[in-house]
Amino acid sequence: MHIHLDWAGVLTGQPAQWILSGFLTTVWVTVAGIVLATVLTVLLLALRLAGGAVGRGVVAVWVSLFRNTPLLVQLLFWYFAAWNLLPLGFRQYVNDDHAFSILPGDVWWFTPEFLSSAWALGLFTAAFLVEEIQAGLHAVAKGQIEAAKSQGFSELALFRWVLLPQGLRNAWQPVVGQYLNLMKLSSLATGIGFAELTYQTRQIESYNAHALEAFAVGSVLYLLLGLVMSLLFNAPVWWRAARQERTLARKEVQDDR
Amino acid sequence: MFAGLFSASVASATEAFPVQAGTVEFRQVSKCYGNHPVLKQIDLQVRAGEVLAVCGPSGSGKSTLIRLINQLETVSGGEIYVDGKPTSTLKGKALRDLRRHVGFVFQQFNLYAHLNALDNITLALTKVHGQLPHEAQKTALALLERVGLRDKAYHLPSQLSGGQQQRVAIARTLAAKPHIILFDEPTSALDPETIGEVLQVMRSLAHSGMTLIVVTHEMQFAREIADRVIFIDGGEILEQAAPEQFFTAPQHPRAQRFLQKVLNPLHAESREP
Amino acid sequence: MIANITVITDNLDYLLLGRTAQGEPGGVLLSVLMTLGAALLAFPGGIALACLAWRFKGWPRRVLFAWAEIIRGIPLIFVIFWLWFLLPMLTGADLPGAVTVTLALAWFTSASVMYSTLAAMGSLPKGQYEAALAGGFSSVQLLRWVLLPQALRNALPSYVGLLIALLKDTSLAFIVNVPELTTVAGQVNNRVQVYPAALFIFTGLVYYLLCTLLEHTVKRWQRRSLLAAK
Repeated sequence: MHIHLDWAGVLTGQPAQWILSGFLTTVWVTVAGIVLATVLTVLLLALRLAGGAVGRGVVAVWVSLFRNTPLLVQLLFWYFAAWNLLPLGFRQYVNDDHAFSILPGDVWWFTPEFLSSAWALGLFTAAFLVEEIQAGLHAVAKGQIEAAKSQGFSELALFRWVLLPQGLRNAWQPVVGQYLNLMKLSSLATGIGFAELTYQTRQIESYNAHALEAFAVGSVLYLLLGLVMSLLFNAPVWWRAARQERTLARKEVQDDR
Repeated sequence: MFAGLFSASVASATEAFPVQAGTVEFRQVSKCYGNHPVLKQIDLQVRAGEVLAVCGPSGSGKSTLIRLINQLETVSGGEIYVDGKPTSTLKGKALRDLRRHVGFVFQQFNLYAHLNALDNITLALTKVHGQLPHEAQKTALALLERVGLRDKAYHLPSQLSGGQQQRVAIARTLAAKPHIILFDEPTSALDPETIGEVLQVMRSLAHSGMTLIVVTHEMQFAREIADRVIFIDGGEILEQAAPEQFFTAPQHPRAQRFLQKVLNPLHAESREP
Repeated sequence: MIANITVITDNLDYLLLGRTAQGEPGGVLLSVLMTLGAALLAFPGGIALACLAWRFKGWPRRVLFAWAEIIRGIPLIFVIFWLWFLLPMLTGADLPGAVTVTLALAWFTSASVMYSTLAAMGSLPKGQYEAALAGGFSSVQLLRWVLLPQALRNALPSYVGLLIALLKDTSLAFIVNVPELTTVAGQVNNRVQVYPAALFIFTGLVYYLLCTLLEHTVKRWQRRSLLAAK
């Protein structure tokens, strides 16, 4: 059995442009989704921590709803059902071409598909982020809180200076994992006809039947994107550790003199 | 003396509770967890500047005793007076005021894990006492010098030994210039060879104007440094005496048995009461 | 409002069973079947891989980790595409779409099961392993009698999470038109057109019920087995 692979059919000409366009679209919708998810997570956390029983209840319902239903179903709902409930004027506005509708790399963001995808990804991921950060906060040793209380910190100051910094540190790896998940889940938007990377690889497959080559290139691009995101998000961690080492080395030299 | 530590907003609080003299009084204080009594009608008076050692078997309630003073636990009955003022009903700002001026040293050190030694000390100074950062840093460096850890100022707690962490913790409490410092078994979690460095720091604090209440198993410390030793068992103070008298001629039979077990473990009676 | 509900009730048998009457399982039934099928492959498979990775710490473990990273680093839909195209080529047979998707889900999930199991094994006190070694156990005996019983129990919450994720991931069959619940709901929506909200809310509700049911069942079983052990 011999599989003949023709990479030129995928890496040149029209297919290459499709791949590039799809890749950039994936990048932009990921960015939009991450921003939205983070903002929502902050709001949800604030609601849970300071909103009393009602706030906690709302967040519990949100988390339960968005975590126990498939993202694809949510996406189909937002795109097919919720979109049509928006005011007609707004929908027409979005459907028209505007100067600001294009992001660098020729990506149309002010479209129903992009907006629905980013929205669905943001809401879905926020439900997971809230739980991860909650777990991170919970994992902070109780002694830290006692020490801060015994020094006279108020609840808010305790949260801001002792609990949150350590909680975020605990939760960082899982949070980065969720961001990477968001990037991979953006592939589901192909189901609503959104022209991100997965959509484009199938486009190539139906264009010149180079399925395996297209999937291989797509796989590599997703893996690379994941690697880059991982490095970017972990950069602060490395930078901080490196700075601590440099500070210690410098202070030792100073003291030796 | 506290003017330098207070920002304007803090000093103008009408419910301010700055600890001035450092006296502590327990009147009929009891503490229960559910139905389980841990402290039973404790009466105790601690003079300003006194060094009080608190000993007793585990589960006797000695840690609870000092944790009630800065309200890490709340009393179930009775009243605790700090500088003659009742503390059990303190809440919010007034409670934080009390805590700002009562130092607490934990058995597990409880240094802020994400901050280096210097920042551990300056955090409360800047965020709670409202000091300016460079002032706070000067204070902190001087305190680190005092406990012999100036060269570890930029180390994280994870990069310090247990004894070093505890010394930083003591420096952290000293930064607030407290008149009362509470120690909850400060050396129990340390390797034997590092206990000495911590006890020496504590000794340097004794009789310098601060009231020290120390829950400890270190009998040598209690004997040499304390002004008074109290023995707690089963939630009651069974004996109070000057160290010399307590260690050579304890009166209460349970105190006698406890001392025997602690000082002469290989030959103590194993008969349980 | 009534019209919304009639859309559901009119199509209920199609949503629940697809074209089962014609011999093609579909709808909710197919979703459940695919979940069970994938789970039956992924969990034993993943645990076996974890044992291999645990036992052979050199190259085999590195290869397994590299494989797992690649599988988890690409979107699940790509795993489905890969198998969709490779399986017919490799086996020469024309497999039903549902089978391919199930195999893809199993393939993907087994990587996560492997990681969860290894994590649970690693978090056991080292003393367990050392005591067994000192007692003369072989690797297989060690795994079978000492490590796995404890590790699997500790990993159970993680496994439940993976199972729930598996159930939700069956919805990806929509992309390749395999007629499980989401696909079927999409078909009804295409036909009826005017009640998308009702349809997709109903679909979401079904998944929600299935997922929470799954979670509660496992928790109850776990509690009961803990009590039985006493």
